[in-house]
This record gives sequence, C-alpha cells and structure tokens, in this order.
Amino acid sequence: MDELTREFLIESQEGLDRMERCLTDLEERPQDAGLIGDIFRSVHTIKGTTGFLGFKRLEKLAHAGENLLGLLRENKLTANREIITGLLKLLDGLRSILKTIEAEDAEGEGDDSVLIGCLEELQQPAQTEVKQPAHAHAGASTQGAPPPPAAAKSMPAPASAQPPDEPVLTAQASAQPVETKPATAPVAEAESDPAKQRAQGSAAESTLRVDVTLLNRMMNLVGELVLTRNQVLQATSADPNMTMLSRRLDMVTADLRESVMKARMQPVSNIFSKMPRIVRDLSQALGRRVRLQVEGQDTELDKSLLEAIKDPLTHAVRNSLDHGIEPPEVRQAAGKNPEGILKLRAAQEGSHVIIEVYDDGAGINVEKVRQKAIERGLITPDRAAHLAERELLQLIFLPGFSTAAAVTNVSGRGVGMDVVRTNVEKIGGKVEIDSRAGKGTTLRLRIPLTLAIIPALIVRSVDQSFALPQGALSELVHIPPEQAAAAIEWIENAPLYRLRGKLLPLVFLDRLLMPDVEHKMTTERDNFIAVLDPDGRRFGLVVDGLADPEEIVVKPLSAVLKDIGLFSGATVLGNADLALILDPGSIAMKAGVAMREEEVARAAEEETDAEAAKSLEYLLVEAGGRQAAVPLSEVLRIEQLPLSRIEYIGYRPVLNFEGQLLPVEDSGGVLAAVEGNPQAQIIVVVCREGNRHVGIAVSHVLDVAAGGDLFEAGTALHTSGVTLLKNRVTGVVDLGGVAPLPASEQAQAAWSQTTETVS
Amino acid sequence: MSTTASALSATVALRRNDKASTAATLVEMCTVHLGSQVFGVPITHILEIVGSARPQPVPLAPVFVGGLVHYRGDVLTTVSLRQLLDMPTKEGRQDLLVLESAGGIFGLLVDSVGEVLTVSSTDYESNPSILDERRRALFAGAYKLKDSLLVMLDPEQLDPMRLSAARAA
Repeated sequence: MDELTREFLIESQEGLDRMERCLTDLEERPQDAGLIGDIFRSVHTIKGTTGFLGFKRLEKLAHAGENLLGLLRENKLTANREIITGLLKLLDGLRSILKTIEAEDAEGEGDDSVLIGCLEELQQPAQTEVKQPAHAHAGASTQGAPPPPAAAKSMPAPASAQPPDEPVLTAQASAQPVETKPATAPVAEAESDPAKQRAQGSAAESTLRVDVTLLNRMMNLVGELVLTRNQVLQATSADPNMTMLSRRLDMVTADLRESVMKARMQPVSNIFSKMPRIVRDLSQALGRRVRLQVEGQDTELDKSLLEAIKDPLTHAVRNSLDHGIEPPEVRQAAGKNPEGILKLRAAQEGSHVIIEVYDDGAGINVEKVRQKAIERGLITPDRAAHLAERELLQLIFLPGFSTAAAVTNVSGRGVGMDVVRTNVEKIGGKVEIDSRAGKGTTLRLRIPLTLAIIPALIVRSVDQSFALPQGALSELVHIPPEQAAAAIEWIENAPLYRLRGKLLPLVFLDRLLMPDVEHKMTTERDNFIAVLDPDGRRFGLVVDGLADPEEIVVKPLSAVLKDIGLFSGATVLGNADLALILDPGSIAMKAGVAMREEEVARAAEEETDAEAAKSLEYLLVEAGGRQAAVPLSEVLRIEQLPLSRIEYIGYRPVLNFEGQLLPVEDSGGVLAAVEGNPQAQIIVVVCREGNRHVGIAVSHVLDVAAGGDLFEAGTALHTSGVTLLKNRVTGVVDLGGVAPLPASEQAQAAWSQTTETVS
Repeated sequence: MSTTASALSATVALRRNDKASTAATLVEMCTVHLGSQVFGVPITHILEIVGSARPQPVPLAPVFVGGLVHYRGDVLTTVSLRQLLDMPTKEGRQDLLVLESAGGIFGLLVDSVGEVLTVSSTDYESNPSILDERRRALFAGAYKLKDSLLVMLDPEQLDPMRLSAARAA
C-alpha cells in the first residue's frame, strides 16, 4: 500500500470518528449548524480524496451522503431521527469499505445500492420541493465529467489548488436547480470551505503519529540517560568548571524524561467517546431510554492498557443496557424515571485506575443467578445454598453464564462477563460487581498503573528506599524516640497507636521485611507512621524515615519477586537508586497474619460496622459549647455565611437560601451569641428532613465519625437520641423537631419542589 | 525434577556428540570466576557484561536472588551464583552477566568475568553421575581443557523462574 493511501486511511478514520461524535450530538441539537458543517466536511474530505485515489465505490457512497448533508446544511431538511440513523449507516458503510481497503488495498466488490437508495430517499422531501428527483442521481453518475463551465469560470485559483473541492461544486450545482438559487451561492460556499479546512488542517499538523514501540524504546533510553546523568553529576561534582554544564544536563534530562513519560499517556476519553454511539444504537434497538453520563474523562492511562480495556468496557456497557436498564414501561411501573441512567466514571485511586460502569436498572436478581448456576451445572445445589449474596454475584463471571432469558443479538450469548473478566485480568486488573435488586448495578474495573506514572512517597526502612503510592496514604504521624514509649501501646504483641482517640493497628515495616533480625527499639529512633487505608483496612505503617515525594514510573517485577506479595513493582528513583514499590493492600493482608487476634476482632467489628455505618455516620458539630451530632446521610451542605444573611419571621430565624426559605434551628444559641455583629461568620448545616430542608446553626463543624447503635429514649426536648461518638455521649439533633415555618403550605410546596430537584 | 534435568543434560550431551561425530565444532564460552572455581557460560546467551554492579537487595526474596539491578530502563532480577552454590557471600563489587533465556532476561552475579575461550565439542563430556542432584540440574557438563575442567552453566536452568519452581518442587 502506498504512503498516500495509508495516510488517506488514517485521516479518514479520524474524520469518521469525529463524524460519529457529531452525529450523536446532533440528535440532541438538530439545529446546530456547526455540527452539520463538521459532518459535511468529514464526508466531503473522504469523497474528494477518493476521487483522487480512484476508489469509485467509496466515492459514490460518500457522494450520496454528501448530497443529503448538503441539504441539511442549507436547512432544506432538518436532522430527524431517520436521517441520523441513515447517516450512521453511511458511516458504517464508509468504515467497512475503508477496512476492506486497509486489508486488501482494494475496495472490494460490495453493493451499496441499498444504502445509497436509502440516503436518496431521505432527501425526498427537499427533492420534491425542487422537483428534480433524478438530478442528484445524474450528478452522481457524471462525477468524473468536468465541472460545468459556469462553475469553472467562477472558481478562483485557490479552488483549483484544492482538487477535492471540485466534485462538491459539481454536486451542488447539479443538486441545485438553476431556477431556484443564484449560482453564486454555492461558489461562495465552496470558497469559504477551503479556508475552514485549512484552519482544521493546522490543528492536525500540530500532532504526529508515533509508533508505540518507538515510544517504549525512548522511555528505556531516557531511563539510561538519567542513570548516566547521575554518574556524570557525581564524577564532576568536584570540578567547578563542569558545574554549570552538569546542572544543565540535569535539567534537560529531567524535562526529557517527563515529556517521554507523558507521551505514553492518553485520557480515557479516547474510549469513553465511543460510548455515546453504542448507547444510542443499543437503546434504540432494545427500546430503552437511556441517558449517558460520563465522569473523569481526563483520567490518564497508559496507551497499551487503554487499548486492552476497550473491549471489556464495551461489553460492560452492552450488558448494562441489555440486562440492567429496564424498558421505560417497566421503569415507570416501578416508580422510576422512564429514562435510565448509565454512568461511566474513571478515577485514579492509588496505584489503580478505577473505571465504573453504573446503571440504575433492575440490578442482578441473586436468586436467578443461583438457579441459573445450578441449571448450567456451574455449581452444586448444595454449595449454592451456602453462598453469600456477594459470592453468588461472582458466579456471573464464570464462563458460560448468562441470565438473559432470550438470546438477543446484543448480549446473552453467555460470553459477556466472562470475557470482561478475562481481558481485565490479563493486564493484571480486577473486576468487581456490586448490585442491588431494583436499584442498579455497578461494575468496577480496577486497572493497575503498570507503566503509568504515579505519585509516591519515598520512605526509608532497613537501610533501603521504598516507594509508597500516595493514593492509599491518608496522613503521616511523626513520633520522636522520646515519645515512642508513651505513644505506641501494645496489646500482647500487637502495636497500636491512638489516632484522634481511635486505636490504629501498626505494622513495622522493618519487622515485616526482615522478621529474623533484631531491630532498633522504637525508643531509639524516629518513627514515622504512614496512615494507610487500602480497601478499607486502616492501619499505620511504621518506617524509619521519609524522603521526598516523587513521581515514579512503575516497572514490573519478575514473577519470582511478585510472589513475595508485598511489592507491586519497582522503580528507579531520581538518584538512580532502585526502590521497591510497596503494595499497601498486600501489606495489610500479610501483617494480618501476624496480628490475627486483633484482625479478627477488627474484621468482626467492621462487619457489624459496615451495615450500621451507612445510617450511623454523624457530622460532629459544636453549638453553644456543646457537641451535637447530625446524621451525615441527612446533611446536604455546610454553609458559612455572615450573620446578616439570617432574617427573621417573627421570632423564627430563617435563611434565604438560593431563593428558598430555610428555617434555621438555633437551640445552641449560636445566633444569639453573635447578635449585633452582622459581619460575624456563622455556620449553617443544611439538612434534609422528610421532604423539606432545615438549617442548623452551629459554631464549629468538628469531624465526621461513626456512632455506635446506642439510641436511647430522648433526654431533651430536641434530642431524638444519643450516640457514643469518640467516647463522648453526644446528642443527636432531632431534625423532625424543627417546627415548620408559619407559611406552612406554601413553604411545604416550595420545599418539596427543591427536594425533587435535589434528589 | 532431577530426572527431567538429567534427561535434559543428556539430550544436550547427545546433541553435542552428534555434532562431534560429523565434525568437531568450535564453541565460544565466556569464563566466570567464583572464588577459585571457573565456570563457562555460552556467549550466545549473554546480552551484556556489566562490571561492578550494585544490586539492590529485595527483602523476603528467595535466597538465590541477588537483588535488583537497573538495566536499560528495565528492572532485572539477578541470581547470585554464590548463593546458588551455597558459597559464603562476598563483600564488595561483583560482576554482572545479563543473560537471555526462554523465559526472559535476568542477571547473574559472579565474582568476576574472565575471558572468552574457544572450545571444541570433541572435548565435551556430560555431567558425571556422582555429582549431587542440585548441581546436576545447574551444570551442563564440562569441557576438558589442557590443565583444568571448564564446568558449563546452563542459562535456561539459572532463570529465576525455573529456580523458584525447582525449589518449590
């Protein structure tokens, strides 16, 4: 294949990708001239270039599409659903021909007459208007013929330098009957077109395609350069003449290293952007109404990993549409919005990138899963009876599992989830599923950052440097030797530290890494506690020293060392030292073996906590010198504002909050305390109570803490209960006790309206 | 394990004997020193020889692992030949051979790298049966030199993956 054709293929693919995006957008904004213009240009460029390269079949198809788009552009037609579907078909048609060209260097023998006919039919309303239905066809067949003399004459020099423009002129001249429009109009348009194209061209010129293997090689070479630089720096440190030079070398190397690293990263939007089309097509085919929400598009992932998760992600989205989101009638009957929500979210979490596919559909019916698994012989009835809900959910990842009653052409061939898991695990990732019947399903892909750059804190232990990914790190505590004896407490041989009143299990990194060696006592050295929170297992990792945070490149470890189970990789530090990357999750697991008693107790506690935690997390506030708790689940927001914002209806303080009146509860006397100083800042915690919102005036917001299940009979008028928060009996603010505003009915109506918009 | 290993060295021996029967082939070997002992590594498996490497120790790693080294942008696991042959560890600089095996590349730490010898396949003899099992797995026979024996190391057998599998077995 010659260079020109290859370039054409790449360029066309990009054009079609752009067209795809525009088409899905066009459905929402059918009047957007900019979108139509973009689509037109994509098709037009293909048509122009194919004429040049002699791909007749492609040219004919593109031409038919261009005619239709031309009418759209001139507002003779409005983009309705049929037209967009037609254009998407055109897109697929063009793509398949491009694929054939790529594979065989020829456009193949396919017949596009049905598609072309369809595109022509879509032009009908406009065509009948101008009463020349056959003309467009004639235009297509006389493609190769020289342009009409009139057009040729009016065509200025730049147009002839742009051969692709000639055919469009013919097409338009022939599609536009002479009697209805002056011939100058299309010419003027043709003239403005190259200018636009040039502007686009310059954007394209600022990027360059680079082979990934070349990038890999560059990355390795830069690593070498960094090493050499360090040696040069050491060797020349004594020579004053070399200082300037070596400092420059240092800087340039650092910059170069960073740039090459960045070159490999791509935003996940590269794959997310394919989803709107898939969602559109599928929801139409399946009769669903779906709104796609995308979050965290800028999250970057190494190019090769991005490629690897493309298919699993598509599978997951298909599954959500097919098995997750119900048809609109069913949703309505279940009291849900007939339009389902499909959410794609990407975020970096520690040494992983998390990609979530969430739908608010029917969820996975665990009983059905159980039955199906037994039916398919994937599990014995005996075992199935003993499996917990979470474990049952995992069964859907088994090969040959599918709960869809009917095999649709979308999914349900029993390969979907199996493939998702295999592909993700192939790149060292993990798939988790979480589903609640009637509420929805979340599929979580955890993609490792191998090759990716992660921020890490360099810590010292056993006379070595280790890299600790910052994602799992929540805080650092320094305990100097003289305080160690008092600060670190022991239950048998399990070391603990009181972190804000809560016991934090400690893991000594040196003891973990070298269990057979005597280590310095905590009182003989500085102790740095890195408080880690991987997978909800909170613990403190004690190290001897801290160095600077660094952006590190994760290098894979050989399987022999990976089996140790504490290190997720290795990296080369700025000073050319190697450092092992600690895996906080594995450390927690490994250390759990040594401190089993504590772990079991903690696990049991966590289990009961986990269930209660959702409703029993409290916002700890201080009002009028007393601490009080507000159920966190009811807190909407915390507002700091000057006292002057508080107004009064009679004796009741109210807050005009975003145009709505909010009754403010002030049993703590916070407002009274600062009365007379309108500039004083007060804090109002805005809470949800039933279908209204209320505000609680507080002097400070202290913390968020989990309270025990300690509700007792009310002890004060405004207390519906008490709870043990941070070892203090704390009153829980009774939101229901806040009296409604005097203008009750109106206010209620207003509030319920707000509630709706908020929820 | 031992049976497969000896079978393997036997096939190596057979192959070499086959060659010997047709014509004496010349093979180039790199000699490495370990204390007073000299070993040979076929140069076809050597990617690079790095002088005085300072491997980074890996806590909790199997004993034969000599640590990690940075090699051309990659992190290589090294095998300490001393540890492998139960010799006392040596302080100070060690030379590193970067070897290529079917499983990938890895490093081999030795006291020092000597010279490249050209040996004839006619001088080859397979491992003697009195050798202990572990060494029989690591060695691939010997070449009879004028005044000494050049014990061959089999890079495939030295691959850390294979070593750890052998230990597990």
